[in-house]
Amino acid sequence: MALFKKKWTPEEADAWTKEDYITFILSPLIYLCIAVGLVLALLLISYGWIILGIGIILLIIMIKIIDPKLKAISEDYEVKQKKYLDDLEKISRWEE
Amino acid sequence: MLAFSFLDWFWLIIYIIFMVSSGVLFYNLGKRSISDFFLAGRGLPWWLPASSVYATHSATDTPIWISGVIYEHGIRGIWYTFFSAWCAISAFASTRIFRRSLAYTQAEWQTLRFSGLGAELLRGWIAGWQVFMNMFVLGWVGIAMGKVCHYLFGWPNWIGLILFSSICAIYVLAAGYWGVVMADFQQGIIAFSVILIVSFWGIAAAGGPHAIITKITSLGEAWRLNPFAFTGVSSGDFPLVWFFTMLVIAIIGGFGMGTNIDWYPEAQRIQSARTVRDASYSIFAGSALITVRNSLWAVAILAFFSLFPNIKAVSQYEMAWYRLGFEFLPAGLIGFFFASIVAIHISTVSTHLNLGASYATRDLYHHYLKPKASDKELIWVGRIATLILLLGSFIYGSMMQEITKWLIFALWIMTAGIWLPSILQVVWWRFNSWGYLSSWIANLGFSWLIVWVLPEFHIIPVLPDYLQFWIMMALGALIYIPTTFLTPPENMDRLVKYYVMSRPLGWWKPVRKEAERRGLLKAADLKEKEA
Repeated sequence: MALFKKKWTPEEADAWTKEDYITFILSPLIYLCIAVGLVLALLLISYGWIILGIGIILLIIMIKIIDPKLKAISEDYEVKQKKYLDDLEKISRWEE
Repeated sequence: MLAFSFLDWFWLIIYIIFMVSSGVLFYNLGKRSISDFFLAGRGLPWWLPASSVYATHSATDTPIWISGVIYEHGIRGIWYTFFSAWCAISAFASTRIFRRSLAYTQAEWQTLRFSGLGAELLRGWIAGWQVFMNMFVLGWVGIAMGKVCHYLFGWPNWIGLILFSSICAIYVLAAGYWGVVMADFQQGIIAFSVILIVSFWGIAAAGGPHAIITKITSLGEAWRLNPFAFTGVSSGDFPLVWFFTMLVIAIIGGFGMGTNIDWYPEAQRIQSARTVRDASYSIFAGSALITVRNSLWAVAILAFFSLFPNIKAVSQYEMAWYRLGFEFLPAGLIGFFFASIVAIHISTVSTHLNLGASYATRDLYHHYLKPKASDKELIWVGRIATLILLLGSFIYGSMMQEITKWLIFALWIMTAGIWLPSILQVVWWRFNSWGYLSSWIANLGFSWLIVWVLPEFHIIPVLPDYLQFWIMMALGALIYIPTTFLTPPENMDRLVKYYVMSRPLGWWKPVRKEAERRGLLKAADLKEKEA
């Protein structure tokens, strides 16, 4: 069994799962690594390149984890969107 | 004073023609519907709103502000710019939830999440606040452009304030958000290229990275090269508690909507993305690019410091990045540099013109004044609102003299007291419209009291900003928590509808159970059995 799900049903994808929580941790770490790593790398300080490299690796891992889920959510949601947009107009026009 | 060569004028004029015509080209798409005029028909691939996120948040005052903090604090100054990291979590949490709501604006979202009079009051309040705030932002970036033009050409401030915003308004009026986002794409590319060129040119002018480090170290200022050079736990001008507070505000804030002033333009970009996935990537990538830009600027300003280490006047060292460009780039490239400054400026102006107009049109005119208005009528109202915002920004801009002071106070007033309620409204079903509304009102009062009035009358000392944040958060909670529990929960029909549509994260169990009972969602235990 894979550590992270790659195939999602629409209902599974709608729930908040470990893939989301891991993304919540990785995403700010990537920003931190970019911010610090790039400054130090541009000053040719060696550990800046290491931090920047870690940031890029984390970015690839994060995309691998979250992308299949985001695709599943998007495909399912676009089907329902038309009806939701009609409801939105009704609220804005005080018809609901 | 700067003297332009023929080539410099050539770059500038070509760029302005290119920019205005590329925006006006989308006139036919912009007038198709209100959704096109304000959201580009909700059909954009992720990289277009991402470039717009980046371009919008690169304004003429941004290098001034970043130059100021890096010159003063060294590399650790990048943490002042790290507030944009709220997008890190937001891209995969609140962005996803907001995109699913399909709300045109954050004000509209309030009437989807909440119900009744409280929701309507919130929608009207946030819409009015955003019309004001967009005019305010337009004023402050406008006057920053006025200052840049004064520095370069000796023009009075009002010329820079009025001239370029008016040029930009041509394509915003013609094509709405289509014009904004298409122009933002090319402006983003131009701005990023020039930031790269000027920064590397500046680093080279200072003798390269090794020379910068050697010079700064020889000045006895090696601490400037350390991004974590704290002055103590709570003492000095860069204490650890400030850093901790910044991380909390920036990172945890991503779970909420409206925890950062930048949420409002981002909300428009989120809804203009064609899918939930595109929305997430646009916010993540746009802000990642901002982080890269800030780091590039930081090194360039360090280079400037190594060249000119003894500048004491804030107004002088705030112009560091501009000076690198104008004093070190060769003739011919100066015009290109100035054209890119115009790009940086108008990408921000165009966004706020269209965004402010969307609140005035969709939330105030359409929802409250004329609900039966046709799309054609609403597009014209959008154009008139754009024009009013432009004129209003000239008045605001002419009143602002100290950019940084206004900027910091505006950011503070938006984040401190409503930071936690802006998260609670997303993650906690029981938090209601009266709780959120009361937090806004309390925040306005407390922020003036804590930041301005009480210190002015020596009732309390002038507090460090991180302490102001925690105090305002605690004082606000004394108002909105009791208000929430003393008023009834939101209507369950509205909550269920919102939950099924948006699938928020956090504490929503009673609403989920009700949705399952109504057969709108599969029961969790049923799903487990199926599995």
